[in-house]
Amino acid sequence: MRYIYIPGLICFLWGALLPCSALSAQDQSLHDIIDDSLRQAQGDLADRSASVIDDYGFARRVYLDLTGRIPSPTQLASFVEDEQANKREALVDQLLNTPEYARHMQYVFDVMFMERLPKKHVAPEDFQGYLRTAFSSNKPYDALASEILGSDGSKPELRPASRFLLDREIKREETVRAIGRVFLGRDLQCAQCHNHPNVDDYLQQHYFGVAAFLQRSYLFTDPKSKVVSIGDKVEGDVKFTSVFTGEESQTQPRILELAEIVDPEPAEEPYEVKPDTNNRGVPKYTRRLQLAPAMIDAENTAFRQNIVNRIWAMLMGQGFVEPLDMFHLGNPPSHPELLALLADDFMQHQYDLKYLIKELVMTEAYQRESEFVDVADAEERPLYLNSSAKPLSPEQFAWSLMQAVGVVEQSRQVAIAAVTKENESLELSSPEAAKLIEEKVHAALKPSVDKVVGVFASSNAASRFDASANHALYLLNGPEVSSWLATGKQYLLDDLLKSDHNADVVKSAYLAIYSRLPNEAETGIATAFIEQSEEAREEVIRELVRTLLCSAEFRFNK
Amino acid sequence: MTKRRNAGCNAVDHHVTRRNFMGTGAMAGAMAGFGGLLTPSMAKEMKSGQKQILQVYLQGGVSQFESWDCKPGTKYGGPFRPISTSVPGVQICELLPYTAQKMHLLSVVRSINLQTDDHTVGRLFMEKGRKNGDYPFVGAVASKYLTAADNPLPGYVHITTRGLVDQTAGFLESKHEMMRLEGVKPPTNLERPKDLSKSLAIRAEGLRQQLNQQFGGKRSRALIDSYDTSFEQAQQLMARSDLFEKQDEKELDRYGRHWFGRRCLLARTLLEQGVTCVKVTHHGYDTHAENFNFHVEQLDEFDKTFATLLGDIEDRGMLDNVLVIIYSEFGRTPKVNHKYGRDHWGKSFSIALGGCGIQPGGVVGATNADGTEVSDREVDGAHLFHTYMQAVGIDSQSDHTLDGRSVPIGDPVAAPIKELLA
Repeated sequence: MRYIYIPGLICFLWGALLPCSALSAQDQSLHDIIDDSLRQAQGDLADRSASVIDDYGFARRVYLDLTGRIPSPTQLASFVEDEQANKREALVDQLLNTPEYARHMQYVFDVMFMERLPKKHVAPEDFQGYLRTAFSSNKPYDALASEILGSDGSKPELRPASRFLLDREIKREETVRAIGRVFLGRDLQCAQCHNHPNVDDYLQQHYFGVAAFLQRSYLFTDPKSKVVSIGDKVEGDVKFTSVFTGEESQTQPRILELAEIVDPEPAEEPYEVKPDTNNRGVPKYTRRLQLAPAMIDAENTAFRQNIVNRIWAMLMGQGFVEPLDMFHLGNPPSHPELLALLADDFMQHQYDLKYLIKELVMTEAYQRESEFVDVADAEERPLYLNSSAKPLSPEQFAWSLMQAVGVVEQSRQVAIAAVTKENESLELSSPEAAKLIEEKVHAALKPSVDKVVGVFASSNAASRFDASANHALYLLNGPEVSSWLATGKQYLLDDLLKSDHNADVVKSAYLAIYSRLPNEAETGIATAFIEQSEEAREEVIRELVRTLLCSAEFRFNK
Repeated sequence: MTKRRNAGCNAVDHHVTRRNFMGTGAMAGAMAGFGGLLTPSMAKEMKSGQKQILQVYLQGGVSQFESWDCKPGTKYGGPFRPISTSVPGVQICELLPYTAQKMHLLSVVRSINLQTDDHTVGRLFMEKGRKNGDYPFVGAVASKYLTAADNPLPGYVHITTRGLVDQTAGFLESKHEMMRLEGVKPPTNLERPKDLSKSLAIRAEGLRQQLNQQFGGKRSRALIDSYDTSFEQAQQLMARSDLFEKQDEKELDRYGRHWFGRRCLLARTLLEQGVTCVKVTHHGYDTHAENFNFHVEQLDEFDKTFATLLGDIEDRGMLDNVLVIIYSEFGRTPKVNHKYGRDHWGKSFSIALGGCGIQPGGVVGATNADGTEVSDREVDGAHLFHTYMQAVGIDSQSDHTLDGRSVPIGDPVAAPIKELLA
C-alpha cells in the first residue's frame, strides 16, 4: 500500500491552494496525483481496494469508453497477446486517435448539448458532423463552447454550431435552462419564478443573469432564402418578480455570482446593421456576444469544474457532484480539492480533452475491478475502492450489440472493399482510410443504431440509465435482434456453429459478447444449457447467445 | 415523499365548505348516504386497497356548453337543453342522458381558466399541473407513488390511436413512462419469436437469472436489479397477453362495438388487473366546423359507453379506490363561427371527476351568464393537479426526491380544491 506519498500530497495541497502553477512544477503525472488524492480520502479503507482489472477487462472497458463499443475478438486477442510493458498506455493512445473515438464523443456531447431535441432550423447531422470534426482534431473545449454559445447561424462555416441556440429558438425557458445545466452544472429552472425553494444558492438573479445575455436577441428569417438566424437589438432589459415575495428586481447579463457585465456608453448610431424585415440586426455592442467570453473566462470556475465533473462521471461512473447539474452549497463535491485541481489543471492544459481523458484512464482508480472487496464498503460515499459498473449509453449499447453478433465486422469488410476500390492508391492502414471506412460503416448501420437508440433512449435527458419492460421486450422478441441471430448471413451464429465442441462454442460466445473467457463453472453451466435441450442445436445456441445479450453483464461496462 | 396522512379516500371528517356544493337542500341526504357506506369492515378494506386513476381524455376540446355548463337561451348557448340529473339541482346537457343518471358519482368544475388556446400547452398544463417545464404527467406520478413494488404490470397505460408523442415521465424513472396501446392491440414485441419453443424460452429465462445473480453478487445492486425487473415485467406481460385478446361479445353489446366502446372495456380490464393509471382517449372534439352536429355524434358515442364503464367500476366496489377524470385540453369558444363551429377556448371551461377521494354530486365554480368568463372560484391546471393527487392520497405539497434532487410535486403557487376532496 502506498499510503504515505509525500510529493503527491504536497503537490495535491499546493494544487488546491495555487491552482495554476503548482502542477507543472512537479514531475508527477496527473494520474498519479489523482490516485494519491483518492487514497488520502480512503484513509484506512485503502487496503480494501479492488485489484487492478486483467487485460480482457481493461480492453473491454477502454474500447467502450473511448470508442463507444466493445472490442472485436480480433482486437481483444491482439491486445491480450501484446507483450509490451506499456501496452495499456499504447492502446489508449491508439484508441484516442481512431475515428471511432471522434464518433463516440460526438454522440456523448450531442446528447449533452441537444438532449435529443428534434430538428428546428439546423440539421442534427450537421451539428453532429461539426462535433465529430472538433473531437477528431481535439479542438480545445473552451473553443468548442465558445463557438456553440457564440454562433448566430449567419456564418456558413459555424452554422452547425448554432443549433444549440437556434433549435431552442432562443426561447428563454429552454435556453437558459440548457446553458445552466450543460455549461455551469446548475439546473436553474426552479429559480425562474422565485429563488429555488430547496437550494439556497440558486437565485432568481442567476437565472435572469443568464437570460439577460439573450434578452435582446430574436429569430430573424431572411426574406429571400428563408434561412433563420439570430439577430440582435440594442434595447430590452430583464426585470423579474418573485411569485413568493412579490419583490421586483433587475439584472444585466452575468454568470452566477460574477459581476454584471455593464453595457458601454451607447454610440450615437448604435447599429452596424439596423434590424428590419430585410436585415438581421447587428448592433455595435451585442449583449449575446458577451456570453461566450464570460462563460470561458478564468474567473468562472463553474465552467471548467462542470466539464471536468462530466468527463470524470463518463469514465468513473459517477461525478464528484451528483446529479451532474446540481452543483450547489448543499450538495458539495465528494472530493472538492481534487475537482478544483483537475479543473485548474485542465485549464492549464488548454482544455485538452484527450489529455484529460488519457490521464483519467491511466489512473489505478479507473483500472480497478468493479467487484468490491468488502460488501460493507459497497454503499459508502464514493471512495473509488472499486470501479463502478457503468450502464452503456443507448448508442454504446446499439454498437456493442452489433459488434457482438458480427454485424459491424461484416459491414467493415464491405466498407474496406469499397474504399479500396474507390481509392486504389490509399494505404489501408492510414488515418484517411480509417476515417473513410468508419464513415461507411456508420452510414450503413445508422438505421439500426437509430432503432435501438429509439427504444433505449430515456425521456429524461439527465438520466444515465433506464430500464423498462419495452426494452426487455425489444431484446427478447424484437425483429432486429432476431435478424442478427439468423444463420446463413456470416454473423456470429454461423461462426459458432462451425465447431461441434460445446466448450469451444461457449468460449467463442463469451469472447464475442462479454470480451472475456468463461471460467470453468460458467463453461459448465452454458454447455449444460446446450446439451440438456431437446431442440435443434442451432436453436439452442441461438438462445444462449440471446440470453448473454440480455444479461446484465452485457448491458454494463463493468 | 410522504403520503398524505389519514387521507384514505373515505375520510369521515370530510369538509364541505362551498356554499353551492350539491345545492343546500341535497346536502343532508347525500351526506347520510355517504356515511352509510362506511361500515367499519369496508373502510378497512378500502384503506388497504390500491388507489387507481381512470382518465377519459376528450381529445381536441369538448365544448363546455354542450356538456357540463349549459347556458340555455343565452347569446352563445347553442340549441341544446339542459336536463336534470341524479343530483337534485345539478343539470347538464341533454346530449349526456346516461351520464346524467350517474351524476351522484361525479362532481363538476366549471371555472377553469388555463389562459391558453393552444392544444399542446393546454394538454401539458392539464397533465403536468405546470404550464411549462419538464414535469411528469398525472399518470406517471400515480405510477410512481401508487404502484405496489410487486405489481408486475406497467403503472401507466394509455389506450389511444393517434400518436401524440409526449414525454410523460419527466424526470421520473422510465418505467413510469406511459405505455401506449394502439387501440386494443397488444404492446409492441409482446410475442415470442416464432422459432422459439416455450420450453426453451423458459430455460433461457432461468439462465438469464442465473447469469445476473452471478454478475450482481459483488457489485452495487440498484441498477442491476432495475434491469432485472424490466425483464420480469416483460415476462409477466407476455404471460398476460390474454388481456389483449378477443373481447367478450356480451360485454361489447353493453359497451358498444365502436372503438371507444372497445377501449373502455379494455380500460375496465386493465383497472381490474391492477394497472395504476389507465388513460382512454376519445378523439375528435376539435369542432371548428359543425360543432353541434359533431357533438351529437361524439357525445352519443361517449355517453352510454362512459356511463356503462362508470357503473361497472361502481358495481365492482372499485369506485372508492378509482379516481375518475373526464377532461380536455380546453373548451370551446362561446362565439359560434360562420361554419357553425366553436374554436379553441381555454378561458372558461369545465371538467368532471369523481370516485376516489372526491366529494360527489357537487359543482365547483361558475362562469358568467353568457359563459364568456369565470365568475366564481377560478382554477387552472395546477389546482386540478393538486386535487387529483390529494384525492388519491399523494401529498402534492411535498417533494419528489430523486437522486439528490427535490422538486415540489404540485406547483407551489397553487393549492388543491379543498371543497372537492372527500
